Amino acid sequence: MIKIKAKDVDVFYGKKQALFNISLDIEENQVTALIGPSGCGKSTFLRCLNRMNDVIDICSVKGEILINDFNINDKSCDVVRLREKIGMVFQKPNPFPKTLYENVSYGPTIHGMAQSKQEMDEIVETSLKKAALWEEVKDRLHEPGTGLSGGQQQRLCIARAISVRPEVILMDEPCSALDPIATAQIEELIDELKKEHTIIIVTHSMAQAARVSQNTGFFHLGQLIEHGSTDKIFKNPDNKKTQDYITGRFG
Amino acid sequence: MNKNKEQLLNKRYKAEQRFRLYGLSAIFMALLFLTIFIFKIFSTGYSAFQKTWLIVPVTFDAELMMLDQNPSKEDLQDADYYDIALKSMADLDPNANEDQENELKRMVSYFFEKEIKNELLNDPNLIGKTKEVYLTASDDLDQVFKGNYPRDLPEDQRRVSDYQLKIFDQLVSNGKVESKFNISFFTNADSREAELAGIASSFMGSIFSILVCLMIAFPVAVLAAIYLEEFAPKNRFTDFIEVNINNLAAVPSIVFGLLGLGVLLAIFHLPRSTPLVGGITLSLMTLPTIIIAARASLKAVPPSIREAALAMGASRMQTTMHHTVPLSMPGTLSGTIIGLAQALGETAPLILIGMVAFVNTIPGSPMDPAASLPVQIYIWAESAERGFVEKVSACIMVLLGFLIIMNLFAQIIRHKFEKKWS
Repeated sequence: MIKIKAKDVDVFYGKKQALFNISLDIEENQVTALIGPSGCGKSTFLRCLNRMNDVIDICSVKGEILINDFNINDKSCDVVRLREKIGMVFQKPNPFPKTLYENVSYGPTIHGMAQSKQEMDEIVETSLKKAALWEEVKDRLHEPGTGLSGGQQQRLCIARAISVRPEVILMDEPCSALDPIATAQIEELIDELKKEHTIIIVTHSMAQAARVSQNTGFFHLGQLIEHGSTDKIFKNPDNKKTQDYITGRFG
Repeated sequence: MNKNKEQLLNKRYKAEQRFRLYGLSAIFMALLFLTIFIFKIFSTGYSAFQKTWLIVPVTFDAELMMLDQNPSKEDLQDADYYDIALKSMADLDPNANEDQENELKRMVSYFFEKEIKNELLNDPNLIGKTKEVYLTASDDLDQVFKGNYPRDLPEDQRRVSDYQLKIFDQLVSNGKVESKFNISFFTNADSREAELAGIASSFMGSIFSILVCLMIAFPVAVLAAIYLEEFAPKNRFTDFIEVNINNLAAVPSIVFGLLGLGVLLAIFHLPRSTPLVGGITLSLMTLPTIIIAARASLKAVPPSIREAALAMGASRMQTTMHHTVPLSMPGTLSGTIIGLAQALGETAPLILIGMVAFVNTIPGSPMDPAASLPVQIYIWAESAERGFVEKVSACIMVLLGFLIIMNLFAQIIRHKFEKKWS
């Protein structure tokens, strides 16, 4: 089933066009990887999906992005509601400089998802468990989140993102600042999370895309060159550029 | 080729050594100036914390005080102490003629009558008895006792006569002159008499001014900084505002004084010489300092924190209030304290709004007339009496102490709270 449908999306930074006519369908409860060389617009596209580009003054987005058949670029779309449904994990782990507990409970608190302290405790616990962090931190929930290791911080950010039970999780190179062991843990986690969430991951590592994703889109110079099942893209791409990139001839 | 390389290397090392030397000598110079300055202040100022007392036997003669038998408390309050006070001073030299008696009277402060009165009010049983009472020595004798007074000047150039010196030396050799910690320097308001002048009025004036300044400048500046940094669109208009805030920080303080005079006093008719007006004027001066500090510390909050909050579905307001502002607070607060410390040392604008007036009462609220510490220094430095010289230095010491404590506080806030989470 298709969860997100992007139709003719153009993005401009001031006068410079960063994305050209992107149309892409994203399957529900699957992992979609966006690959491509640096500056190709894959992160920009990802940030369109939860309207994070609004923060940048000079950035303007055109075209339709339908999530559950609702155009999020429409004026009637409330970004606060939208971002509640679409969580995001960033390239660099960015926990709030607060305690672990406060990090995870922040989303549910501002969206009023828990009626009591007990309910909140439960949300925090399940979120941390789903992020495979619970066992490591259950004794120090009230210590600062910034005291964790890089990999733990990133899992904390994932726990924070899933605490509000989003339908979609956007991940912007979530492993680029992590070592191979932490990366493996996160990848395992992504595999687990796709049962309940639709995941879109931007990655520089083709190996990672091949390992975690079911679908792949290849971006180059602001264009979506090719998209389809990961299997097909990696084994038998239609486009020459894709072939060259996959085999490491450029990028 | 190789030799050239060697030479070049040597040159580089030499250049570094020279640079270090320059740095060290710069630091040495700075420390030297600081040491000279502090030494000068302390060596002239420390004696102001001591006060000289003459111990004079006073006979509480009921008749001279016009008291009946069994006087009530009110009677004691209203009694005439001038005569017994005069008499006890005159008694220091039984052979004194009228002129000399007058000189004897001037050996103590004009407050001596009050000091004798307080003695009796504390112990009404003293009536008819004689007791040795501590009387504040005149500022000139105070200086003589502290060794600051040139005794070898010809008599007609001195404010202390030979006769007064003779009696004073007798008292000293009898152990009737004592030096004690000068409490009245901290509890008295200003006075024309150096021996009685204190900093209580100007200290309270400074405190009230700073409080008024804080209460106005801090909220306005923080709100302005938050709006400009987090909400305002970046366009020509906000650029214009930014340039002007920076200009405002560079405006000479006396201009703010003129503004206070022209607007607060002339148009709004706020009470002259009060910490209220002083504080408002100072807040205009402190405003840009705090805005700049607050904006800098808001800017220093990493954008990733804002993105994290926004991506969680926090509104812009929530992002700002829950994350950005708390994280920027240590920097904002220490900037505020440094701004207040600047305001505390400011003299010129306060002179213009009339806080330079002679105030001999201690203000109880920001609406009462008061001086402030730097203005007090200015007033005393203008006074002719030798007794004020040490007071000026002592007042500078108090002001410096105040400033050091404030700056220390700013440092502590910055270090303690900024590091806490990162």
